[in-house]
Amino acid sequence: MEMHQIRYFLAVSETLNLTKAAERCNVAQPSLTRALKALETELGGELIRRERALSHLTELGQRMLPMLRQCYETALTAKMVAASIRKGGAASLSVAISQIVALRPFTPKLRELSRAFPGLQLRLLRGSVREVAEYLKSGAAELAIAGPLAEAWSRFDSFPLFEERFDLVVSRTHRLARQNSAEFKELASETLLIHTGCEMVEELNARLEANGIRDAAAHQVATREDLLALLRANLGVAIIPVGAMETNDLQRIPLKSLNLVRRVLAYTVAGRPRAVACATLLNMLRAADWDLESATEPERAHR
Amino acid sequence: MTERALSHALEEAFIRCRDLEAPLADRLQAFTNEVRRLRPDFAATVDALVGRLADINAGATAPKVGEPMPGFVLPDEHGRLVKLDDLLGEGPVAIAFHRGHWCPYCRINIDALARAEAEIAAEHRHIAAIVPDRQRFAAWLKSDAKAPFPVLTDMDNGYAISLGLAIWVGDKVKPMMIGSGSGPSVSQGNDNWMLPIPATFVVGTDGIVRARFVDPDYRMRMAIDDMLAALRSAN
Repeated sequence: MEMHQIRYFLAVSETLNLTKAAERCNVAQPSLTRALKALETELGGELIRRERALSHLTELGQRMLPMLRQCYETALTAKMVAASIRKGGAASLSVAISQIVALRPFTPKLRELSRAFPGLQLRLLRGSVREVAEYLKSGAAELAIAGPLAEAWSRFDSFPLFEERFDLVVSRTHRLARQNSAEFKELASETLLIHTGCEMVEELNARLEANGIRDAAAHQVATREDLLALLRANLGVAIIPVGAMETNDLQRIPLKSLNLVRRVLAYTVAGRPRAVACATLLNMLRAADWDLESATEPERAHR
Repeated sequence: MTERALSHALEEAFIRCRDLEAPLADRLQAFTNEVRRLRPDFAATVDALVGRLADINAGATAPKVGEPMPGFVLPDEHGRLVKLDDLLGEGPVAIAFHRGHWCPYCRINIDALARAEAEIAAEHRHIAAIVPDRQRFAAWLKSDAKAPFPVLTDMDNGYAISLGLAIWVGDKVKPMMIGSGSGPSVSQGNDNWMLPIPATFVVGTDGIVRARFVDPDYRMRMAIDDMLAALRSAN
């Protein structure tokens, strides 16, 4: 399929009128009709039912619309990237990352990006999941990396990247530090460090309650730095996602029957044009092989 | 024949055809014949799709000889970003679109390209493959053929669509692909069922297309000799 064919189809889907669609696309109506016919031949069915002044989409047309809209945007971005690398000039990119997502897995991507776009200016924002959602909505951030955003806004596009397991993390001097695993009941007398900005704080609380840990003593912290500082000072224990933080000087212990994982996703706002650096980073994040530990041969099959 | 026996027979046929000491076109044709013999229903459905694509000249508007090849920035199988201009800095390049790691025709094609690259690398002529598959699957395709060249990921076929080189698999072929476990959704990371036309472009260091092969029939690929001749005469 060709971009102009998709563009004409999208115009018809919005105007529901072939004459108006042709005007909007700046083409003669016969050209528009011919292009649509070719698209219909390729897709193997009618997309538009032409009825006097008002046309409407067929079932196939309705079904293809979101995909074709996305294809058009993706291809426009590819064209924009091509134009921008020929032209040069500094790109910029603002990314919001939720408090409890570590930057480390993403730094090689950012390094590649700044190599490909010399002069790239990065702006990294940190915040709670609520703040991250706000950064995206307001346009302060073009892209967000976070666990599931509590707030479901219909305009967020989300792309799952990888999953992280929650483990118990304690100071090296803690009495549990030498154990290979821990059980919930061992936490009854512990002070829990709760990161209020963590995407899954409610889910975690529910798991604790379900396992008999009610009204446990707890300290609340709002930043990763404070969480780590209190952990190191042995002021409490925390249940946090693996890989979330630099914890070389702390001990990680699997918590039996916790089975809590959180998904880390990339978010953008649907319909908002992505600048070249943002689009390229998103493609890199989505294409990346995050599952390095369990890399296996992909399924094979033959036609 | 049961599904299982059938898929086993196809796998055997694939290996036989891939390892034939014959030109690429003959190896592809040999496998096409095996599919026609073993899966006549599938072959007929594909013929219908290919026929429709041929009727509308699918892919014809892609960059032609004498036109500039639009630039790209795509991640390779290691996650490194590769630009067309970087590749051209090393000499003329053949850019070969492929459908995915699951496509036996692409695997035969990549195998032939890997052998060709060994022949021309010393002459500062190179090859780069582009697939809609994500890194892990691109890496598999590369290692499967021990290809020395990069296999780049074109996420959601964005670059291919911008060149008029993407097609929709369609409601007829789709269930057959699902049935045989070779759908592109997992490897592409989307549910669009779009595939690139496996075209090849030989691009000179000035970014101008010197030769191209575009056929909406995915069982047909640029002849290796044609590609090598174009790469050698390009500068």
